Amino acid sequence: MEQLNAWFTELLADNAIFTANTLGYYLDGLGNTVRLVFLSLVIGLLLAVPLAIARGSRRKWIKWPVFFYTYVFRGTPLLIQLYMIYYGVVFIEGIQDTILWVVLKDAFFPALIAFTLNTAAYTTEIFHGAIKATSRGEIEAARAYGMSRGLMMRRIILPSAFRRALPAYGNEVIFMLHASAIASVVTIMDLTGAARFVYARFYAPFDAFLFVAAIYLCLTFAILYLFRYLEKKLLAHLKPING
Amino acid sequence: MADTPIPLEVRDITKRFGDNEVLKGLSLTAHKGDVITLIGASGSGKSTFLRCMNLLEQPNEGELIVHGENIAFKATRHGREPADWKQVERIRAKLSMVFQSFNLWAHMTLLENVIEAPIHVLGKSRKAATEHARELLDRVGLLDHADYYPAQMSGGQQQRGAIARALAMDPEVMLFDEPTSALDPELVGDVLKVMRDLAKEGRTMIVVTHEMSFARDVSSQVIYLHQGMVEEAGPPEEVLGNPQSERLQQFLAPKH
Repeated sequence: MEQLNAWFTELLADNAIFTANTLGYYLDGLGNTVRLVFLSLVIGLLLAVPLAIARGSRRKWIKWPVFFYTYVFRGTPLLIQLYMIYYGVVFIEGIQDTILWVVLKDAFFPALIAFTLNTAAYTTEIFHGAIKATSRGEIEAARAYGMSRGLMMRRIILPSAFRRALPAYGNEVIFMLHASAIASVVTIMDLTGAARFVYARFYAPFDAFLFVAAIYLCLTFAILYLFRYLEKKLLAHLKPING
Repeated sequence: MADTPIPLEVRDITKRFGDNEVLKGLSLTAHKGDVITLIGASGSGKSTFLRCMNLLEQPNEGELIVHGENIAFKATRHGREPADWKQVERIRAKLSMVFQSFNLWAHMTLLENVIEAPIHVLGKSRKAATEHARELLDRVGLLDHADYYPAQMSGGQQQRGAIARALAMDPEVMLFDEPTSALDPELVGDVLKVMRDLAKEGRTMIVVTHEMSFARDVSSQVIYLHQGMVEEAGPPEEVLGNPQSERLQQFLAPKH
């Protein structure tokens, strides 16, 4: 341990950029990125489940608003959505006097809202497609065995659809991680924000961004690994027994 | 005899798809222990008739009485629909169906398939449902496959598993919709054997099938449908042994 420490100190002693100070920025950035991405994914997921069900509704007044929402959020760049929400909330009359302002004045929350709404829109479409792909025969069997609509949704359609959606959703998670890099444009000190800071401070773009790219790469590998594990566990039913 | 309600009574069912009338007033009474086979060429309406019995298809006219309970309908713009879907769900749980394409739930193991509806529809305890399911899987020769997923089993195994799933509901009547039509010839025998055993133990069954030997040996009544109407009906020795109409004679003639 001590040897490692000595080796590390020696390595750092030689460069002026990656001091304990700047590494601290990167660490804060990592924390902010993970927090922002994780929270928006979790909330987005929770929103996407009922939205995906509503999206497949036979009633037009339920189906169309959801379609409109996903169409708008998938049809415009995330960066624009972020700007709209970050700058837009200020113009809501009297918002600065309400309790909401306590959270909204921090750039983190407008960014969280934008990311959440964006990922919820994509996830809604992923789940909607997976729900639609449920085998007709399996639904018929559920009806024939006396299941109500709600029970069938809960026990047959959703469990089967979530499994089918897993690979596509894994991609969405990775996409969100990478898209979160734009949070730095609204003053959030995420990973990319830290890299920009280091770049500006030392005018060393290559070092600053290469380092942060390596961190993103590690995070991506962790996500890939997690989803590979989940797929292995949850998609066992699709594999032949001796596979 | 008169004390226990009749498991299933169907009166004057008609069904139209658009202008096409596929069922033209069909009736049927299944007493306890009856095995009724529906035979007929494809397009004769036999599967649609069966699917009307548990309301997977909505009959345009006619009455359905399950175990003494008359299914209520209400008029809508398009004709009619069941007045109370809770009643339909309750009645469906009494009429287990076995499908041509098995339709086991792919994300569940065989055992989970069998205990699913007893737990979540009938409200049985997991322990009781699992015990019962194991007995049934043993009966259809699949106890060692309890933890397999449907995709890991052959068609014949899946269909026997589906029969176990149907039995787990303790149904009033079992509906079989061409249960052997999707199977390789060498797998048909196992499934038919299970069905013969069920008939022997006095299960009430309505079977749509092309297996004439099964119809001949097992059924108490054979109904021959042609273009949505009953052409001939009666005990198998009459209908199959001595067909009256030319059409049925042709239908039964050995194909070369």
